[in-house]
Amino acid sequence: MTTTAAAVAPKPTGSRTAALSFAGTLRSEWIKLRSLRSTVWCYGIVIAITVLFGILIAQTASATFASGGSLTQEDQQSYALLVSTLGIGFSQLVAAVLGVLVISGEYGTGMIRSTFTAVPKRLPALFAKAIVFGVVTFVVGLVSIFATALITAPMLPKSGITPDFGDSQFLLALVGGALYLALIGILSLAIGTIVRNSAGGIAASLGLVLVLPPVLQIIVAMTQAEWAQNLAMFLPDQAGGRLYAYAAEASVTGGVIVLDSLQGGLVMLAWVAVMFVIASVLLKRRDV
Amino acid sequence: MIEAQGLTKRYGAKTAVDGISFTARPGLVTGFLGPNGAGKSTTMRMIVGLDRPTAGAVTVNGKPYADHHSPLNEVGVLLDAKAVHTGRSALNHLLAIGATHGIGRKRVDEVIALTGLESVARKRVGGFSLGMGQRLGIATALLGDPATLILDEPVNGLDPEGVIWVRNLARFLAGEGRTVFLSSHLMSEMAQTADHIIVLGRGKVIADSPVADIIALSTGTAVRVRTPDAARFAELIATHGGSAKSTEHDLLVVNGMAAPQLGELASTSGVVLHELTPAVGSLEDAYLSLTQDDVEYHAGGMAAASASPTPSAAPAPASAAAAAPTTNGALR
Repeated sequence: MTTTAAAVAPKPTGSRTAALSFAGTLRSEWIKLRSLRSTVWCYGIVIAITVLFGILIAQTASATFASGGSLTQEDQQSYALLVSTLGIGFSQLVAAVLGVLVISGEYGTGMIRSTFTAVPKRLPALFAKAIVFGVVTFVVGLVSIFATALITAPMLPKSGITPDFGDSQFLLALVGGALYLALIGILSLAIGTIVRNSAGGIAASLGLVLVLPPVLQIIVAMTQAEWAQNLAMFLPDQAGGRLYAYAAEASVTGGVIVLDSLQGGLVMLAWVAVMFVIASVLLKRRDV
Repeated sequence: MIEAQGLTKRYGAKTAVDGISFTARPGLVTGFLGPNGAGKSTTMRMIVGLDRPTAGAVTVNGKPYADHHSPLNEVGVLLDAKAVHTGRSALNHLLAIGATHGIGRKRVDEVIALTGLESVARKRVGGFSLGMGQRLGIATALLGDPATLILDEPVNGLDPEGVIWVRNLARFLAGEGRTVFLSSHLMSEMAQTADHIIVLGRGKVIADSPVADIIALSTGTAVRVRTPDAARFAELIATHGGSAKSTEHDLLVVNGMAAPQLGELASTSGVVLHELTPAVGSLEDAYLSLTQDDVEYHAGGMAAASASPTPSAAPAPASAAAAAPTTNGALR
């Protein structure tokens, strides 16, 4: 112990070989993300849920459609897509929880002080976090959704469904599913940044995707109110859900708005952008 | 180099740091002392931009911390041992923090070896003892090979061996020409480590001096004199400008005259002395006397502070206090 500091590098004024950079900050966030067990577990669960739900519904489909007549190609594609993306309804909850934890875990443990000491301008750290987490979640989502599509494809023909992998609408919707997962995750990351607390952040985030939509549905069921239906359409889960709907088209029927894939995606992006601006302002202003 | 100017932090109605100004210089270990809640940690957080000052400013090596291109090369900071995600290993923590500045595995391994963390580097931080956490915090602070080190209570939770290690490390780093800014509530620790001490009380600087001067404050000018001829010697002292109080039949406590003068006086007047002892203060005494009623004192109020703590009844000028023989046993 008393041989102490011989190994401290010799230059008292600090060696200038290293410098803070955004690329370095991205690398830092990547190391952080992959070095926590909770991350690995959460992504494992996302993959498992997507694949298992896909297999489950592909198997039950044979019972549902075996005796039925022939389906149109569009119905077949739509159904094959449902098989591959059904798990998103559940895996989005995992993505949301993980998105909150990515930042609230730092506040909870005090790690955030180390992070902001290394990146004192703060916002680059938040952006790097969002980029790394968003990209990884997108890739995990993409892999799990495409894997599900490929695994379930041989199970479907006996139900009269033959997915056409050459259909660009079909492929776009599969990618859209992964995009939706990533955006829900980033939205939750922004919420976690605003709330700074794991329990509160998860509650707020799941409230938005899990609680609010059924509440609106109840209102719709009771009152048939158009505003409630339209509001529900613009919530992240429904608007974002248009990203992975097959050949989604926009319509306005009797005052009830339905978005197409692009519009839905833009509404989802708007949610992320607004939450992110709020998160950025608060992050910059608050003491840690 | 850390320079604070009128640094202030208020939380609502409570003022945690109240317009303090100080400088921590390169090549010195500057101690930052104060009771709990004095504002030490808040000040340190403001230095690295984690807390935003309500008023005033602080720069490190000439610039606000956040304006440096390579912050970790400028300042290494240990704010508390808990600034680490408990689910990550020490190695991954250091790699992640280092990565922001392009600091790689080689330097990470160096600081791990330097802080004695080799055996636990791959274990999750959640299972670390307080001492291990402290070592990891110091490793993080050293990562960027910084010119300025800020260590908040670095010996907290360390075993005696670790305390000596931190002391040597701080001295070594200052010896290399770095600025070392160190807070501690352990006065004896500070006496052995710091060159210069800033005492903070209720958010204000109540002393800012070299260690020896701070100790001199509590030493005062009192001298214990034991002589069988106490009554006569007391009169002699009075005629030579001192004042003597008798606490026992053969014991005097003398103020206003230093031990050498008293010895000469005794010799020339034929008084037999059995004991001649300058009252020696410790940093603890100085610290307690400075902070016990710190609301009375203000920045630069050292002369005022010197009046109250000692057995001396007559206020001595600060220069006289500093001149008192303080070296023997002062740094106990």
